[in-house]
Amino acid sequence: MTSDLNLNFLKELEREAVLEVLYRDQAMRKIEEERVRKLKMQLQQLRWKGTRSVSHEYQERSCARCHRPLGLLLNRGAVCNGCSHRVCSECRVCLNPCLWKCTACYAHGDVKIKAGEWFFEERAKKYPNEGRHETVGAKLLKSYQKLSEYSMCSYFWTLHLQELCQTKSFNKSVENLFLSLTTHMKKISKSQNDMADRSHLTTDYGQHVEKRKERRSQSDTAINITSRVSKSLYSVSGTVRSVWGMQSLSSSHFLCSLNSTCTEYGNFGKANVTGEIEFAIRYIFKACVLEISIRGCKNLAYGEEKKKKCNPYVKVYLLPDKSPRSKRKTAVKKSTVDPEFHETLKYKVEYPQLGSRQLQVSVWHAGALKTRVFLGEVVVPLAAWNFEDRSAESFSWYPLKAKVTLGFCHSSKLLVSARLSVPAQDKNFQLEKQMREGPSLQIDDLAVLYLFWGSCLILPDQTEMKQRSPVLKKEVCPRWKHLFVFGDVSPARLQQSCLHLTVWDQASLGASDRFLGGAALGAKESFGLRDPGSEALLQWQKVLSSPNTWTDLSLVLHPNKERFKS
Amino acid sequence: MRWRSPRRCPRTGTGSGPCRRSMASATDSRYGQKESSDQNFDYMFKILIIGNSSVGKTSFLFRYADDSFTPAFVSTVGIDFKVKTIYRNDKRIKLQIWDTAGQERYRTITTAYYRGAMGFILMYDITNEESFNAVQDWSTQIKTYSWDNAQVLLVGNKCDMEDERVVSSEKGRQLAEHLGFEFFEASAKDNINVKQTFERLVDIICEKMSESLDAADPAVTGAKQGPQLTDQQAPPHQDCAC
Repeated sequence: MTSDLNLNFLKELEREAVLEVLYRDQAMRKIEEERVRKLKMQLQQLRWKGTRSVSHEYQERSCARCHRPLGLLLNRGAVCNGCSHRVCSECRVCLNPCLWKCTACYAHGDVKIKAGEWFFEERAKKYPNEGRHETVGAKLLKSYQKLSEYSMCSYFWTLHLQELCQTKSFNKSVENLFLSLTTHMKKISKSQNDMADRSHLTTDYGQHVEKRKERRSQSDTAINITSRVSKSLYSVSGTVRSVWGMQSLSSSHFLCSLNSTCTEYGNFGKANVTGEIEFAIRYIFKACVLEISIRGCKNLAYGEEKKKKCNPYVKVYLLPDKSPRSKRKTAVKKSTVDPEFHETLKYKVEYPQLGSRQLQVSVWHAGALKTRVFLGEVVVPLAAWNFEDRSAESFSWYPLKAKVTLGFCHSSKLLVSARLSVPAQDKNFQLEKQMREGPSLQIDDLAVLYLFWGSCLILPDQTEMKQRSPVLKKEVCPRWKHLFVFGDVSPARLQQSCLHLTVWDQASLGASDRFLGGAALGAKESFGLRDPGSEALLQWQKVLSSPNTWTDLSLVLHPNKERFKS
Repeated sequence: MRWRSPRRCPRTGTGSGPCRRSMASATDSRYGQKESSDQNFDYMFKILIIGNSSVGKTSFLFRYADDSFTPAFVSTVGIDFKVKTIYRNDKRIKLQIWDTAGQERYRTITTAYYRGAMGFILMYDITNEESFNAVQDWSTQIKTYSWDNAQVLLVGNKCDMEDERVVSSEKGRQLAEHLGFEFFEASAKDNINVKQTFERLVDIICEKMSESLDAADPAVTGAKQGPQLTDQQAPPHQDCAC
């Protein structure tokens, strides 16, 4: 039942209300996870205090908890019912006159109820397959994020143009404009379930247009750039929402570029995958470090079959982060199919994060001239990993597997709300774009990136006005509340201008920022923009012709860096 | 001292005061603010309020969490929750109380939340026969979607509206007994039995918690007396005052 649980059936306003609750719940869940983690860490430390004596100088006659020597006659200690260790009288917690436990066993039970584990255990009797800590809220959010892959990072920006009304540069009535907007909307809502609901948001306005539609011909599919802003514009209040060409561009382009920039997907050779790899995983709670000790591989395939050559090395990613930040590599071993690495790769990562991570361990052949051949990989979901179980820390052999084509499909949409504003008194034109809270700013796979977006207004004379937003760090749901203001732009020039929005992953010192995608708005087909220029054009005009209105746009992110000025 | 077995505190009419348990139940109102970010508590319980549309689930929750009441009816969209931290049996217990939409169209969402809830408040309206007749169905839903030990309190809300009563409290009590739930009549408007309902539910969940710990811990199973929880609550229960 829960597998197809989603928010599809809700109207947009309802969905927003539910999402607000879900996000509130998510915030609370994080706090709770943190509390549980602290509890467990304290317990772990208590245990370590005991186990250290075992590995070093374990004596039969000493307390398992505080290591104090126990006497033969006096202070002999007693065996704890829970852990069968002998403990002194100091390290016991009396539950009642005839029952006691050692401090560690007591703490174990205490943590179990405080962390709510008892409930999960009880529930597991009825639902053995239920994920322990994944709540309905988390599932719903996840399904929603999948749903909104079409409309991934939403930027809302606003253009606000008052002065234009007086310039009489528009000569077509605003009704036409609105009509074509709704036809667009309708067209899209047929194919896009998600978007169907958008029209509900603007119900009163929608009806308004509906009436007109009966009277008018359908001929105006595009908006005339010189549509005159009539008085009726002011009678229409509220936000005009429109959705553009959602289905026209698939997100696969963006996906490819993402992959190729951070891993060698696409341009690597393939060998038959054989053999196994031996490694161990452990988490050091004190230091918040995940350690992957890679011992070696055996029976690897030859990277270059004809030459019987193989120079293997191991590369590790902590998925879903596929950025260079998450990459760890071992040294390359020359000419062997049974390499021994004996290397330990480390990640500094908070414990609660591990639940959503997967460890991808892949083996590669380093050929001449930087050619890389994929020799196999293992993906270990860390959610199911018991980091507190010491036996899970031992080395094991994992059979190497062929690369699965990644199931995720990345959306590459910006949902943007924008306004063009000019104070009537002074004649300075201002182009404002502002981040508003978008309904869906999920970037699943980029969860750990340092995201920012740049914008560049290119005027007809090729002068560029550049701005960039602050960087959002490691946000799962990035929401920029940044206001871009481009001042001193005349409406006439705006008509001929082009606005480029680009999203970047900020690199650490020295390296250059990673381009994630960009979108263009504007009149120009220059800069080799081959994409449906009319689309960028239409959106731009819509913004310019809707002064005093918040206009929400949905822009397709293009992977091609060269197209954009940043 | 073990937790006592559930003691019924039936209320016969709306006029008489709420049933009181002798054990101090000091809900600390100082912790009313900023509760959701507070980490300073011992347990966290998740409670779900269910029942037909417009029986007063949201009002009941608002009365308990914010001590406020508005007569206007606003249908809940899907789900919502409020957080309240209470002090009970020497423990600070954080409650995440989920308020569900009674309307049928949200059923897929609301039933999904059953699985995460430790306890339920099943509510009907004493002035609405239909809401009472639906109790059996709601109970079946709990059995279907929740864990086996789910604790349920049956609450007949709006007991301030005695003039319009169509479900007698005797009928409510009988049904509760039949279903194996505990029973309260309450009024969110007049703040009758609201706090008592939640506190009773918390107590029952605590009982289940210590039981599950007993069962899971072989070291304790043989012992006659309970573990951690029980030894902390010194004052013995006395009989119900009403």
